Amino acid sequence: MALWKAVLLVNLALVFGVTAGWVRWGREAAALRRELAAAPAAVAGLEREFRGEGVVRAVLGEAGVLVITHGDIAGYMPPMTMGFRAAAPALLDGVEVGDSVRFVLRGAIPHLQIVALERTP
Amino acid sequence: MSGTLGIAIRGVHLAACVGLVGVAAILWLAGRTDRPTALAWHTRVARAGRWLSLAAILSGVASLAWQAALLEGHAGAAFDPGALATVALETRGGHVWLARHAVLVLLAAFLAARVDPRQRLDWLAARAETLLLATLALGLGALAGHAATAEGNAASVMVSAIVHLLASGLWAGALLPLADLLRRAGEPAGADSRAYAALTVRRFSRWGLAAMAGLGVTGAVNAWAQVGSVPALVGTPQGGLLLVKLAVLAAVLAVAARGRRLLPALSGEADTVGRPAMRRLARLVRVEALLALAILGVVAAMIALPPARHADPTWLLSFRLTTDPLADAPAARVRALIGSQVAVLGMVAALASLAWRQRRLALGAAAAALGAVGGVLALPAIAIDAYPVTYRRPAVPYTAGSIAAGLALYRVHCAPCHGASGAGDGPAGLRLPRPPADLRAPHTTHHTAGDLFWWISHGIAAAGMPPFRGRLDEEQMWDLVNLIRAMGAAGQSRALRARIEPERPRIAAPDASFTVGPTPTRSLRELRGQRIALLVLYTLPESRARLAELAGAHGQLVVAGAEVIAVPRDGGTDGIRRLGADPVILYPVVTGSAGEIATTYSLFSRQPHTEFLVDRHGYLRAVAPGAAAALPVPDLLGEIGRLNAERLVPPPPADHVH
Repeated sequence: MALWKAVLLVNLALVFGVTAGWVRWGREAAALRRELAAAPAAVAGLEREFRGEGVVRAVLGEAGVLVITHGDIAGYMPPMTMGFRAAAPALLDGVEVGDSVRFVLRGAIPHLQIVALERTP
Repeated sequence: MSGTLGIAIRGVHLAACVGLVGVAAILWLAGRTDRPTALAWHTRVARAGRWLSLAAILSGVASLAWQAALLEGHAGAAFDPGALATVALETRGGHVWLARHAVLVLLAAFLAARVDPRQRLDWLAARAETLLLATLALGLGALAGHAATAEGNAASVMVSAIVHLLASGLWAGALLPLADLLRRAGEPAGADSRAYAALTVRRFSRWGLAAMAGLGVTGAVNAWAQVGSVPALVGTPQGGLLLVKLAVLAAVLAVAARGRRLLPALSGEADTVGRPAMRRLARLVRVEALLALAILGVVAAMIALPPARHADPTWLLSFRLTTDPLADAPAARVRALIGSQVAVLGMVAALASLAWRQRRLALGAAAAALGAVGGVLALPAIAIDAYPVTYRRPAVPYTAGSIAAGLALYRVHCAPCHGASGAGDGPAGLRLPRPPADLRAPHTTHHTAGDLFWWISHGIAAAGMPPFRGRLDEEQMWDLVNLIRAMGAAGQSRALRARIEPERPRIAAPDASFTVGPTPTRSLRELRGQRIALLVLYTLPESRARLAELAGAHGQLVVAGAEVIAVPRDGGTDGIRRLGADPVILYPVVTGSAGEIATTYSLFSRQPHTEFLVDRHGYLRAVAPGAAAALPVPDLLGEIGRLNAERLVPPPPADHVH
């Protein structure tokens, strides 16, 4: 066989190999993306429970809402200031702005309510 | 020690791959031939190429074994086929390794194949393929190596590093084969191939020039990425090696220039013409190749050292040149300006002396005289004292915590002479040979942090300032440096108003970490590149009305891109409780480390209520001292809008040592 034919074959093999690798890599990435997209959907609709810690910024008694600057709520939310609805108005009794609190959220995302609250020193 | 072996293995592999590119390039450049001497040379170079590919493959296997030992955590894994297979088959680096070594085996096969020079197509295909495969092996290796070690390097830097490597292969790897060809053709028996050798050297000279230009450009890019400043070039081991490399390169260029001048002497038709020139050229090329090897050695040492950009430079001169002092001294500015113009005239004269041969002596003398006069005029105005640590980076970052610690130390160790406020009016200072420096004056911001560190640690004997080495530890001295920088910045900040001065970021806002209740610690620094900060130092009850106004506008401020951070001036940890339920305030009110923020920012304003506007690059842009000076919300939103509209992107302030 003439050498130039061998060269041609080698180059074809190289191009084929690169293309195959490219395609496989793309498939892998696409599969990962699909898995990532599917993960939250599987979680939604389930009743779940989270624990958080924070400082009370406002008590909106008539609405039954507590605004809390909270730390990371593992599995749910990064640190931020936001309002949470209390499951029972009695939970808000005696809570004042500036109190450090530990709280438990329960419900199906995003309809979570505070079901337990304790003041920490 | 063990790390050195790994680097040595990689070094051998890299050198072999570089050499392969050179071998493939010179065979391709030289072209087909039917002359016996040239054919024998082809065979010899191809054999050298086979040895090189063997060396590349063996060192490649060694580096795979090395990798396996590293991953498995014990040396035995290097000889365990199972571990080797795991690394090769199950890691991305292993996949690249397999592909590269398949390419190297193919390359060896092409170098071993007997190519008939009479079959034009075969010859071209085989040699082009050799060059392609060699380039691929080197380029892929460099890409994989860089992708593995780069710390967020820009793609342009990576591409430039790879092009640099390929160009160096094209030039350095081809030199030894070329020298061999010239030597053989210069012998009496090599007469048949002299024209061929002359043609080859001509082609190589063109390609070598292009490769050299590429090396220059990409080398500059790489040097900027790895070194980045004059102190790093002069004062670090890696920077020093780069200078050595440049010096050897200058020698290479001188040799190459001499070689180029011999080229016309090679253009003889007859077989005897040009023989002495050819032998001289062979010697020159051999010298060039030896110098290239020396450069490779220097490069290997450079790779083993930490990047100069991240090393702490040691400044070896007793002075440095900077235009900073000119800002406050109009007379010196005029001197420096006149001096620099005279020096430029001198440079023009020097250029003219090169161009105009008849008047060379007179013009040269004039150039020297003008240069000297310009230097005498300009240099004293821009030369200031420097110390070995002048360019040391502060070991402690410029933060409120460090500055507050520095202030506590200052009250004990410095205030007796420099005065409680830094004015240089302390009672003990009156007895000193020279009055203590006014630390609030603008000149303090012209010194580097390293200068201040040197004066604190070594003292200033002539002025009666004692050394504090031994009495304070290194961290405490850096705290003092940060305090002095903050004092200087506070002095500068008197020029700031409640409204910003567009496009003029000058004063770095000290970083501050803070917490709100039991939430994780945040810092001003993490807002950089994202949000503008309105830092409010407040005192109750006079600040209450303003805090309520800001609370009402909180939503608008957030949408505009600003974050309000309120800090009680008394440093109390129960700020949120004291503010109470009415009005509702939802922006962060700092409870943790409010004290150090209050201490630091009180240097900038003593008013009970002060608002600081920090732009998204970390610069302090506006200061409103007193509740009365605070801008009404619409005006405040206007200033934030103007900050948002700025196009200028200044360097990050922490790297910008004043």
